[in-house]
Amino acid sequence: MKNKEFDNILNDCLERLLVKGESLEQCLERYPAQAAELGPLLETALAAREASAIQPRPDFRARARYQFHSALKETASRRSRSSWGWFPRWATVAAIVLVLVLAGGGTVVAADSSMPDSPLYSVKLATEQARLTLTPSQMGKARLCAELADRRVAEIAYMAEKGDAEQVVIITGRLDDKLDLLVVLIEGRGGVSLPGILPAASPPEEAGAPPAPTTTPPPPDEEPPPEAAPPVAIPPPEKGWGGRDDTAQNGSRVQLWNTVVHDAASNQATLRQALDKAPERAREALRRALAVSEEGYEEALEALE
Amino acid sequence: MQDEESLVRRAQKNDQEAFAQLYEEYFDRIYRYITLKIGDAVEAEDLTQQVFLNTLRSISSFKWRGRPFSAWLYRIAHNQVVDYLRKKKRTDLPLEENLASGGDNPQTAAERKLDIERVLSATRQLTDAQREVISLRFTSELSIAQVAEVMGKSQGAVKALQHSGIVALRRALTVQGK
Repeated sequence: MKNKEFDNILNDCLERLLVKGESLEQCLERYPAQAAELGPLLETALAAREASAIQPRPDFRARARYQFHSALKETASRRSRSSWGWFPRWATVAAIVLVLVLAGGGTVVAADSSMPDSPLYSVKLATEQARLTLTPSQMGKARLCAELADRRVAEIAYMAEKGDAEQVVIITGRLDDKLDLLVVLIEGRGGVSLPGILPAASPPEEAGAPPAPTTTPPPPDEEPPPEAAPPVAIPPPEKGWGGRDDTAQNGSRVQLWNTVVHDAASNQATLRQALDKAPERAREALRRALAVSEEGYEEALEALE
Repeated sequence: MQDEESLVRRAQKNDQEAFAQLYEEYFDRIYRYITLKIGDAVEAEDLTQQVFLNTLRSISSFKWRGRPFSAWLYRIAHNQVVDYLRKKKRTDLPLEENLASGGDNPQTAAERKLDIERVLSATRQLTDAQREVISLRFTSELSIAQVAEVMGKSQGAVKALQHSGIVALRRALTVQGK
């Protein structure tokens, strides 16, 4: 009991000393009976407080801030582009039904050519998601992905010309998604939950507990991308779709190969042209788009080999 | 700083500016907390960075249940430290050559650095719980209530640890001075 009382007195003095700015003498005057015991402890606490003068080194602080902001942007972009994946299943289904209902009308047609600054753009994205979901074959989905990647490139060029770097970053995320999905479909990976289509399950309800630490931070990919893409010169594929030597599949695969080769070249050209015309504020984002496009198409072509 | 709850809610809604404000508010404090906990300013840099990257990844899972955001954040830092110490068997960690003390002139800075090194060295004589309390109270400037939240202990238990921690620290500093 006595100890508890002293713990409270010590804490009260510490609050007065460290938070309210009272002097050591003022604190001790409040508790004359405990002053002899309190004095040395408060002096020690003040010494420990000295340790609060530890500061991060300026170069570390700057590097950490830069890396954190890069990760912040990357996360924001990822969340923005994967927001469909967070849709509850019923909402995705409802969106598909809505798109089907609207499909006979003019809205979908008008939305089809809309750009990200148009109010109809969300309808365009919803229509695309529905088309992807409703396309039955892997090959059909892959072809559609290639087509949607084309659209994203056109949108990036359009928004870059307007100087909207933020939108360029967001759409680049969507382009990246489509090219990733294209690779997944080409490789015919079974059981893959296709991003942006029907989610396998909604995310688990969080317990609110902090996460266990991990030792590998997400790499903030901020390396300056190359200015120009190397020429695409890869021989046509010989294997069939999914590794089978089926003639029809092989034909489809060659068709897809031609499409991707064509798209890779034309989209790189589109982005490079846009880079020439874009205002300075959009160029960095555009260079990143160029790098994403280059890398994505290369991976797709490698997967087709 | 804006009302912390609104900042956190904005950060959870992907508001980069709000998250950046939280980062600036807590960065130094988390760094100091970790430095004092592990006694190694260079390793503390990596861990501090990792704490904020983990926070960025998991902020959506934070829920306001009368528990302050700082308690949650320090808990992440605590987990990070525990993980680090588990991986690295602590023997005698070297004293820092990279401590930045923020002193005004070279002499003051050098003296302050010595003080910091003495305290860092002395804290190694404390138990983990005592060191946790001393670190949270005197370098991160949390209140008793906040420390109790972070450590999952009662305020009375934290006050007792604070008392025994200061006594142990004083003993260690006295031994050093001899």
